[in-house]
Amino acid sequence: MTAYILRRLWQMIPTLLGVILLVFFLFNWVGGDPAYVLAGKISNQEQIDNIRRQLGVDQPYYVQLGIFIKQVLTGNFGASWSTNETISHILATRLGPSLTVTVPLLILDTLIAIGLALAVAYVRGSLTDRMVMIVCTVGLSVSILVYIIVFQYVFAYKLGWFPVQGWGDSFWQNLVKYASLPILIGLAVSIAPDLRLFRTFVLDEINQDYVRTARAKGVGENRIMWVHVLRNASIPIITNVMAQLPGLLVGVFLIERFFSIPGIGREVILAVERSDFPVIKAITVYVAVATMVFNLLADLMYKAVDPRVQLK
Amino acid sequence: MRIRAVAVLAAVALAVTAPAWAADPNKVIRDVFPVAESGFDPAAAHDLYSAEVEQAIFETLYTYDYLARPAKVVPLTADGMPVVTDDGKTYTIKLKRGIYFTPDKAFKGKRRELTVDDYIYELKRLADPKIKSAWTFLVEGKIVGLDALAEEAKKTGKFDYDRKIEGLEAIDPYTLRIRLTATDYNLPYVLAHEPTSAVAREVVEMYAESDGRIMANPVGTGPYMLTEWIHSSKMVLTANPGYRGFTWNFTSSDPADAPLIAEMKGKSMPRVGRVEIYVMEEDQSRLLAFQNRELDIMNLEGPLAPKVLDGDKLKPAFAELGVKLSRIVDPEISYTYWNMEDPVWGGFGLPQIALRRAVAMSYDTDADIRVIRNGQAVAAKYPIPPGVVGHVPDWQPLNAYDPATANALLDHFGYKKAADGYRNLPDGRPFAMTLSSRPDTLGRQQDELWKKSLDAIGVRLDVRKDKFPEQLKAEKACKLQSRVASWIADYPDGDNFMQLMYGPNTGQSNNGCARIPAYDKLYEQSVRMPPGPARDKLYMDMTRITEVYATWRLTISRYRNQLVQPRVEGYRKHPILHAQWQYLDVKE
Repeated sequence: MTAYILRRLWQMIPTLLGVILLVFFLFNWVGGDPAYVLAGKISNQEQIDNIRRQLGVDQPYYVQLGIFIKQVLTGNFGASWSTNETISHILATRLGPSLTVTVPLLILDTLIAIGLALAVAYVRGSLTDRMVMIVCTVGLSVSILVYIIVFQYVFAYKLGWFPVQGWGDSFWQNLVKYASLPILIGLAVSIAPDLRLFRTFVLDEINQDYVRTARAKGVGENRIMWVHVLRNASIPIITNVMAQLPGLLVGVFLIERFFSIPGIGREVILAVERSDFPVIKAITVYVAVATMVFNLLADLMYKAVDPRVQLK
Repeated sequence: MRIRAVAVLAAVALAVTAPAWAADPNKVIRDVFPVAESGFDPAAAHDLYSAEVEQAIFETLYTYDYLARPAKVVPLTADGMPVVTDDGKTYTIKLKRGIYFTPDKAFKGKRRELTVDDYIYELKRLADPKIKSAWTFLVEGKIVGLDALAEEAKKTGKFDYDRKIEGLEAIDPYTLRIRLTATDYNLPYVLAHEPTSAVAREVVEMYAESDGRIMANPVGTGPYMLTEWIHSSKMVLTANPGYRGFTWNFTSSDPADAPLIAEMKGKSMPRVGRVEIYVMEEDQSRLLAFQNRELDIMNLEGPLAPKVLDGDKLKPAFAELGVKLSRIVDPEISYTYWNMEDPVWGGFGLPQIALRRAVAMSYDTDADIRVIRNGQAVAAKYPIPPGVVGHVPDWQPLNAYDPATANALLDHFGYKKAADGYRNLPDGRPFAMTLSSRPDTLGRQQDELWKKSLDAIGVRLDVRKDKFPEQLKAEKACKLQSRVASWIADYPDGDNFMQLMYGPNTGQSNNGCARIPAYDKLYEQSVRMPPGPARDKLYMDMTRITEVYATWRLTISRYRNQLVQPRVEGYRKHPILHAQWQYLDVKE
């Protein structure tokens, strides 16, 4: 097990290097020279050169790349070019609001989708099953932007059940008052595809011999579905959930923007709008690392859930 | 955490000495920014929304009368207007006594009185290369000895703030003398601009980051203090309990201001104890929050206008709720310029001038206002927009929309149409107008209108999309053929606009690299003159020169529509002032 983990960690290095190169060249190709924007309305070449020098963008590309790699290794990405806020402070303060929305969203989404998947799989082929699938197909065909605009208009403005936007400094106030509608929207968007997917996983198991054997032995349907079927269907479900975990750290871009939630997703949009390379590269690297770590954790969890799985 | 501690410290320290006009903490105004702030260092921040917060926290020597139009400079911390001598090259300014910074640990428990050294320090900070201030142009080349100090800092890497210079002299703690390198009657405007606000050196030395900026630690003498800040999301300003206050006693020549004056006159200010500012980038979120009464004030951006306004009036649904509309023409101009160094479009030969004038005449400004701006703009006919000193309201431009004359002009100068219906140069070569524009909705709309305009006179349009920084880079190197640009007033004086075509400003604010000796000569005369009819006459002559040579096509100036909830009293949008909360009251 230890050797496996070490090998996987070792394999992350070339992947991370690839991410670094991609981010670096994409930004320099697409991003433009930030000094011309930071210099303000009236600036001369000397002032622009001064800004380029202080940002380090006057250095040859290989030097800038070297600095980037050093930042990744030390975890010190410096400060935002636009606001001077340190990257570590940005990550530390924006992560909480993102997680306040995404963690409950993922938990509720997973639990509801599993429950509904078991229910509709149990009545597979029935009118209920077909109606649920039609609703899911329609639901996942609608853009998240439509959900946001309609839900914000109806539930926040027309019905007044939630505030239109806002964020405070109390966790419970944020969770109950401000994050409720964003979570509801997130559920409306994510339950449909997850329900369809999980239903497929459950259907794959429900026709297996061990289910027939259990029924022949007189095991109750609830126990068959919730214990035997769910446990065997959980491996692909875990894969799916683990794949979503890095997304928790990125937040939900549009939802954060529409509801003024000061999370990572909104920060990414701001950083792109401002050509704020230190923020963009820090968040990209951090998401890449999180993705690789969560993938490793998923593989380790397979082993815990299914003893037949061999880690090589 | 530090912000909260400061608030508590301030409240405790000043509770005993709180003046009778202390603001009511229960009176709250909720405002909104459509773009995130960057930070609150007057020398470093250069976005509108950070400036708005800065103006509430810091104080300049001068400010603007709340109701006077055009905007009028009046003293803020200065004790009267400056004494100007030496043909406009020396300014002597007296400071009011007894003004204090809000308590901060940088002051080590002592009350810290404002002195002229705090202004001298900030003016030097604008020149400090380490700070990379976007406002360096306000002082560069203007104050005796300051450029030399900045040059020395570039060599040594350290700005010597202790070095006394002839241009910035503290005669005593309450008397400042500024010596300029040349006559400049616009200095009071510069001294009313928030980058020149008083900043305490102790605060900078305690909180400055490696580049000398204090974006997160604003400590000023103004009516409000920053007590809560969730970056890019929410800012809370609390009334400064030690603020000296003032009596709302403004007058106006506009009869429309009478009700506002009646409800506010004689009140001790500030009244509002707490200002909450939210950052909401999305149009729908802002409008719904305003309609839901989660916001008290909001700026109605162009795309939202048709939902709220019928022309220049509120729709009945809003008017019935008592919502108030404060509407002004922004002190700004939009224009399309041509690069005077371009081999086809530049130059001062008659065919080139005719080409530019014809193209200028092809542009349908009314369509721009109607289609692109949703009716929320006026035609810009004069380079100095309404509300700015030097504006000429009844100016008749030479190159107004007239496609028939434009076609005749091109025919006359030999720009003949080829088989494809587009014109070639007089020597028979094909050509096009290359318009650089941004890859966003507004950019695309402007491309389409220019395409339609040029099609009407048979001139090809080549749209070039590029990143904004790259466009600026090419523009500063005089490599961009044409672009739609805009300019908003830094200060409400015509000089701020007439400098846009001044030859030596090429590579800075002169986008089109226009170098017209006759214009430059008149501009140099104008900067040595105080505002008045004689200078206005020069500006009109200069405007005619730009029209004759058609260096640019002025297009529009946008309206700024502010929506205000009925419970807010005293609001009128000021063309230059950003922060207005200290002039407002809230109904109980």
